[in-house]
Amino acid sequence: MEAPAENFFTPVVPLDFVYNYRVGPYIERYLRGFKDKKILGSKCPGCGKVVVPARMYCGPCNRRMEELVEVSQEGSLENYTIGHVILEKGAIKPAKGPYMLGLINLDGTDSLLLGRVEGVSVAAAKPGLRVKAVWKEELDGDFKDLDHFEPV
Amino acid sequence: MRNVGIIGIGYTPVFVSKRKDVNIAEMISEAVEDCFANTGLGPDDIDAMVFGNMHTFEGVNMPHLWAADYIASLGKPVMRIATGGTTGMSAIHAAYYHIASGLHDVVMVVCFEKQSEGDSQVGLMGIVTPEIMAMLQAGIDISGSSGMGALAGGSAGAISFQASSYLARSGAGIEHIDGMAALERRNAAKNPYAHLKDANATAESVARTALISYPIRFGHICPTSDGATVAILASEEKAAELADGAAWIHGLANCASDASAGNILEGVITDPAEQMPCQLAAKQAFERAGIKDPKKEIDCVEIYNGFAHQTLMFLEKLGMCEVGEAHKLLDAGELEINGRCPVNASGGVVSTNAIGTSAMNRVTECALQILGQAGEHQVEKDVHKALSHGWGGLMQYVTITVLADKPRKG
Repeated sequence: MEAPAENFFTPVVPLDFVYNYRVGPYIERYLRGFKDKKILGSKCPGCGKVVVPARMYCGPCNRRMEELVEVSQEGSLENYTIGHVILEKGAIKPAKGPYMLGLINLDGTDSLLLGRVEGVSVAAAKPGLRVKAVWKEELDGDFKDLDHFEPV
Repeated sequence: MRNVGIIGIGYTPVFVSKRKDVNIAEMISEAVEDCFANTGLGPDDIDAMVFGNMHTFEGVNMPHLWAADYIASLGKPVMRIATGGTTGMSAIHAAYYHIASGLHDVVMVVCFEKQSEGDSQVGLMGIVTPEIMAMLQAGIDISGSSGMGALAGGSAGAISFQASSYLARSGAGIEHIDGMAALERRNAAKNPYAHLKDANATAESVARTALISYPIRFGHICPTSDGATVAILASEEKAAELADGAAWIHGLANCASDASAGNILEGVITDPAEQMPCQLAAKQAFERAGIKDPKKEIDCVEIYNGFAHQTLMFLEKLGMCEVGEAHKLLDAGELEINGRCPVNASGGVVSTNAIGTSAMNRVTECALQILGQAGEHQVEKDVHKALSHGWGGLMQYVTITVLADKPRKG
C-alpha cells in the first residue's frame, strides 16, 4: 500500500444497518384487504373525510379514526411523474424503461394514493384522467398486490 | 423568570422489549392520549411542543414531523431535541425555557424510543464512532487497541473502566453493584411502567449472572425498551387554571466536558469515574433552587443509571452523600423505598430504558413522587423536594432538574 501524501486516517466502518419497521394495525388491515382485492381507508368521526391508506389519526381534527371503510377502486389521476431509475434494496438502479407514477384520488376519498400507471402516454396524461386499480394475479397481502392503475 | 410546573404526565401502557402491535407513531400517540386523559386537557390547550428521541436508533429522521398528527402538533410550534441519553431531560428543559421566558404558557413534551425496530448498538456506534476518532489525538491505534477491546462489549464494555474506577476509589465491591441492581429490580416490580421486574431479586441472584466486562455483569445492565412518555408543563397562572396540582421546577442545569473524557480515553482526566459535569451541574442546579445542603433538603432521587454501579457513583457526585459513602447507605437500607434517601423508586434506567424517555422519566417519576401519585412505588417519606439526574451525550454530559411541591419564591 502506498503511503498517502498527507498523513490522514480513513476509517472504514462496516456497519450493517437493519431496521424492522412495524407497519402497525391500520396498515396490517389495509394489506389484509388486498388479499380480497379491497382498498381500505379510514373515516374521521369529526370531519367525515376518508383517507387511504387507512391510518390512526386525523391530524387537522386531532381525532382517532376507528372506522375502516372500503373505497372505490376507480379514481382520477391528479398528478404524475415519469421515473427512469428504481430503488432496489436501498440502491438506485436504471429502470427497464421509463415508467409513470401517478397520484390518484380514489372516488369518495379525500387523499391521494401513489401508484404506477400503465397504458397512458405522456401526451394523454392529464389531471382528471379516469383510472382503475389492477391487481396482481397471485395476492400475498403485500403492497405489491396493488400492481398498477390503468385508464378506465 | 416565570415559575414553571409539571401539570400532567402520560406513559404508554407498558414499557417492554418489543411492541409488535403498533408502529412508532401509534405507540407515541398512546402516551399523548394517556396524558390528555390524566389531565382532562386536549390539543387546544397546548401552545407548543418539544419532541425528543435518540438520533439514528430507529433509522427515522425527523420523527417529530413524521408523527406530527399522532402527537397533536399540527399548526403548532414544534422542535426536536437530541442530546443522547439525556434527550428526555433536555426536552423538559427546552419546555421550561419556552415557558419561563414568557413566550408560551402551556408546552407538551413528547419523548419516545422503539428500540425493537432498530439496532441500538449500531445506533450507539454511529454516535461513538466519531469519538473513537478522537483517540487518534492520543496516538492510539483504533484498529487493534485495548480501547476497541472494551468497545466490543458495546456500551457495557465502554462503561467498565468507569465502574472499576468507581470501585477502586469508593471502597465498594462488586457485591454492592449486585445489591444496587437487586434493589432496583425489586422497586421495578412495584412500577407498572417498568420493564425488567424481579420482586425477589437479591445481590446473590444478580451475582449469578454472567460477567460481561469486569466488573459489569449482565444483571447490572439496562434492557432496551419500547415506550413513550409525555408531560405537560405550564406557567404558574395557567397551572392554577388547568390543574389541581403541579411539581414545580426550582432549579435546572446541564454540563458537558471534553468529548473524550469520562470513559475510554481520558484525555487529561485520570479518573474514568470523575464525572466532573455531574458535580458542576448539580452545584449550579442546587444554587438556582436555593438548596444549601442536598443531603438534608432532597427527599428522593431519580438517577440515570444504564448500569447499576452508576446509582452509587452518581449519589456521591451529586452530593447526596460523601465520597465512599453510597455503598454504606445501601448496606444500611437507606436507599430503599422506605429508607432515608430513597433512590430510583421507579426501578431506574437499569430496569427500563426506552432511551429517549429515560432522562425524562427521571423527572416525571420525581413529579409523581411530589404529587403523591406514584402508586405502589410511592416512597414512604413525604416528598417536598426531589432531584432528577440525566446522563449521556458521549458519556460526559449531565442534566439536572430539581422539583418541589410549591412554586419557587423570588
